[in-house]
Amino acid sequence: MSKTTSPIIDIRHVTKRFPGVVALDDVSFDVLPGELHAVCGENGAGKSTLMKILSGVLLDYEGEVAVRGDVVSFGGTRDAEAAGISIIHQELNLVEELSAAANIFLGREKRSRLGLLDDRAMEREAAGLLDQLECDIHPSTPVRELRVGDQQLVEIAKALSLNSDILIMDEPTSALTESEVERLYRVIDRLQERNVTILYISHKMDEVFRLSDRITVLRDGRHVQTLNRADTNAREVTHLMVGREIEEVSFADNRQAGEPILEVERLYLPWPEHARDWRLEDVSFTLRRGEVLGVAGLMGAGRTELLECLFGASDEPPQGTIRLEGREVAFSHPSQAKAAGIAMVTEDRKRLGLFAQMSVRENITICTLNEAATGGMVRGAAERRQAEESITQLGVKTAGSEAAITSLSGGNQQKCIIARWLRTNPKVLLLDDPTRGVDVGAKAELYKVIDGLCREGLGIIVTSSELPELITLCDRMLVLCEGRLTGELQRDEFTEQRIMELATQTEPVSA
Amino acid sequence: MATFIRKNRNELGLAVATLAVLLFTSFVSDSYRAFPAENAKLILRDTALLGIFALGAATVIIAGGIDLSSGSVIAFSGTICTGIILLLAPTDGSTPITDDLPLWILGVAILATLVAAFLIGSFHTWLITVIELPPFVATLASLVGLRSLAKLLIQDMTRVAFDINTGKSNISINDDTFLALGNEWWIPPTIFVVLSLLLWLLLSKTVVGRHLYAMGGNEEAARLSGIRVERLKWLAYCIGTITAAIAGILYTSYVGTAEPTRDGLGYELNAIAAAVVGGCSLAGGIGTVPGVMLGALFLRVVIDSVAKTFKSRPDLFEGLVVGVLVVLAVAFNELRGSRGLKKHFFPGALGLLNLLILTALAGTITFVTSTEDKMRNGLIAAAATFVLLAIRAAAERFGGDRAAAG
Repeated sequence: MSKTTSPIIDIRHVTKRFPGVVALDDVSFDVLPGELHAVCGENGAGKSTLMKILSGVLLDYEGEVAVRGDVVSFGGTRDAEAAGISIIHQELNLVEELSAAANIFLGREKRSRLGLLDDRAMEREAAGLLDQLECDIHPSTPVRELRVGDQQLVEIAKALSLNSDILIMDEPTSALTESEVERLYRVIDRLQERNVTILYISHKMDEVFRLSDRITVLRDGRHVQTLNRADTNAREVTHLMVGREIEEVSFADNRQAGEPILEVERLYLPWPEHARDWRLEDVSFTLRRGEVLGVAGLMGAGRTELLECLFGASDEPPQGTIRLEGREVAFSHPSQAKAAGIAMVTEDRKRLGLFAQMSVRENITICTLNEAATGGMVRGAAERRQAEESITQLGVKTAGSEAAITSLSGGNQQKCIIARWLRTNPKVLLLDDPTRGVDVGAKAELYKVIDGLCREGLGIIVTSSELPELITLCDRMLVLCEGRLTGELQRDEFTEQRIMELATQTEPVSA
Repeated sequence: MATFIRKNRNELGLAVATLAVLLFTSFVSDSYRAFPAENAKLILRDTALLGIFALGAATVIIAGGIDLSSGSVIAFSGTICTGIILLLAPTDGSTPITDDLPLWILGVAILATLVAAFLIGSFHTWLITVIELPPFVATLASLVGLRSLAKLLIQDMTRVAFDINTGKSNISINDDTFLALGNEWWIPPTIFVVLSLLLWLLLSKTVVGRHLYAMGGNEEAARLSGIRVERLKWLAYCIGTITAAIAGILYTSYVGTAEPTRDGLGYELNAIAAAVVGGCSLAGGIGTVPGVMLGALFLRVVIDSVAKTFKSRPDLFEGLVVGVLVVLAVAFNELRGSRGLKKHFFPGALGLLNLLILTALAGTITFVTSTEDKMRNGLIAAAATFVLLAIRAAAERFGGDRAAAG
C-alpha cells in the first residue's frame, strides 16, 4: 500500500463530550482504502464512540470527518449507509420479533410487482448471505429465538447485503465461539479480496495481529499512535493501550479447593416442542468451595441454560437433583437462589442486567437495598456508602455514584453489575461470559477479583466464549456439547485443542 | 442549588408554568381578583379529585404498565358505595331514608368499596401476570366492563332497596356527613396530600419503591436480580384501583348522586395526561410523585383558566386545551436537551404536510375561540403561523445546520 494513496476516511480533530465525560479528545487519524485498520483501546478509550460518529449514530461532535475527501455531516445511519459505511454494533441492533431475513432487509424490503412484501425473495437472498457466512440458521427464524452468536451473524449478513465498501466491526467476535470466529475470519478475507475497507475494533491481540494492516491505539479518549502491523508487536500495542505492562499471571496456582458446596446430579432441562427434547441432558458435576469451574461449549451447547437452572431462572423447571451445601434445593425464582447464596451475572448486559434509566448507585445496590434500609426505608447515606465502596473495590471508572449508568463504557457497566452481585455475599457465583466486551486491562482486574473471591472460599462457575480466558481462570472445566456433558478436564489437561475436540464430540462422557 | 435545579427541572418548570397561567387568569378574570380564596378552594378541590387517582395511574405507569380502568372504577365504586348505604339505611316502611345515617353504615360502605377496588386490582394483576394479557388489554376490559356492570348493579340495588319493579339508574344520598366528604373544600385536598406523602415515601424512600422503578425500567433484569415482579405488579395495580375508588367516593359525595352512566367518563385519560405532563414516561421506570401532583395542579389550573376566559360554554374548550397542553408539555420535556432546537421539525413530505396542519389548526382554533370577526381573526392567525413556520422550514432545508439552530 503506497503512502500516496489518499485516505478513504480522514478523521480530523474529533472531540465528543458526554455529560461528565470527554469520550473523545481531539482524535485525528486516517484510514486507507482496502486496508483492515484495527482500532484498539481499553474500555472507555472512546473506540465505540468514534465508530458511532462514523456510522451516523452520534450526530453532533466537534471536529470533522471526511469520507473520500469530502467532509460529511450525516443526518443518521441511512446517510452513512448511503456513503458506503455499515457498522456491526457490539450491542446488537435487531428487531427481535422479526425473522432473520426481515432484519437483514429492514428498511430496504423487497417487494413483488403488486407492491406487497416479497418474503420469498428476501429469504432466498438472506439464505445466500447467511450461506456466505457458513451460518445454517433458517432465514425465517425469528431473531429472538437465536442465541447472541447467531444474531451477530445476522447483523453481519445485513451489512454484507448493503454492499458497503467501508465496514465497521465493533468487537465482532466477542460473542462468537472459536469455530464461528474462524468462519468470520474467512468472511473477512473474502471481503478484503473485494477491496472492502474494514475498521476493526478489538482488544484481542491475536485477532488484531492476524487480521490488520495498521493499528490505531486510543487511550482515555486520545489518539496514542497509529502503527503498521509489521513494525510492532502485541506487547507494544498492549503497553500503549494501558500505559503500563500487563504481567502474565496464572491465577489458579496454589488454590486449594475445599469441600463440595454445590452438587448436581442427573440434571435434565426440558425443551418443549423441539426435536432435541432436552436443552440439557443428564448433566452431573460437583463444585467445591474455593474453586473456579469453567463451562466450555459452542453456542447452543447449553452453557447459559445450565447456569439458569442453578439460579432458578430457567423457563421450564429442571429435573434432577441440585444440592447446595448438602441440602437439596429446587429454586423456582431467582429470589430464592439469591437468598440461598447463589448469584448470577447474566450474559446479555443490556437486555438482562442493566437498569438503563438508573444511576450507577442504584444499579449497584438493587440486590442488597434491604441492607441499607431500616423497616423498608432506604437510608440514603448507607446506600451511597455501599455504592462507593463497590466503585472503589472494582475500580469502576465513573464521574461518581450518581452518574447515569449509560454514561459508562460497556466494561464499567459490567463491573457495576458484578459489584451488584458481590454485595449479596454469595456462596456460589455464576458468571455467564462476564468479560464479554470488556478490554484487556479491565479483564485482568476482573480475573484478579474472581481469583480473590475464590480464595475467600466462594465456589465460582464461569462460562466464556473465549477459551484462553477459561484456561487462565479455571481449576477445572466442564465441556458441553448439545446439552450433554462431553468431558471434564483438570487444569493440567487444558489445551484449546482438547477442549474443542470435546465441544464438538456428540458422544456423552462415560461415567 | 445547581444540582437541585437540574434534578427537578421538570417540577420547577411545571410550577413556573402553573404560576404563569394563574397570573394570566387573574388578569382576564374579575372572579380571581374579587374572590381569590373561593377560587383557590375550588381549584384545590378539583386538583385533589383528579390528583388522587392520577397518583394511582402514575404508579402503574412507573411500574411499566398502564391502567385504563380508573374512570370506570370511579363509576363502579360510586355505585357500590351508595348502593350499600341504600341497602343498609333504615326504612320508613318501604323507602330507605338516607338523611341522617349512623356512622357505621358509612364506614361499612366505604370499606367495602375499597375492598372491591382491591379485588379489581388483584383481578387485573392475575390477568396480566398469570393469564399473560398485556396490561392495556386487561384494563381495557375493565374500562368497558365495569361501567356496564355498575349500570346493571344499580338497577338491581335500587329495585331491592325501594322494593319497586323497575330499578333506577342513579342513587342520591342526603346524609350530611357523607356529602361533607366531597363538599367540605379541605377534605379532598387533605386526602390528596396525605396520599401523595405516603406514595412519595413508598416510591422514593423504600426498597419496594426502588424495585418498582427497576421493574418499570427493565422487567427481565429485575426478575433476574431476584425481585418478585408479580408481587410488585399486584401492589401497583391495587394502588391504581384503590386511589380511583377513593376518588370515586369523594366525587359521588361531591355530586350527592351516583350515576354510573356519567360518573368519571373519560377520566382515565385525564389521569394518564396528568401523569405524563408530570414527567412520567409511558415506557416505565421514570416519574415522581411531586411531578404528578404538579401535573394534576397544572391541568386543573389551565382548565379553570379556560372556564374563566371563555364565558360561554367553557366545557367545549376543555378537551382542546388539555390536548394541546399534553403535547406541548411532553414535547418540551423531550426537546429540552442540547439537540432540541437543532432538530429538524419539518423534514420531508411529512414535515410539509404538518406545516399546513399546524397552520390550519392555528386558524381553526382562533376561529372558534373568537367572539367577533371570526373569519378575519382565523385567517390572520393562520397566515402568521404559516409565515413563521415556513421561515423555519426553509432555514432547515437551505440554511445548513447553523441557520436551523438559530
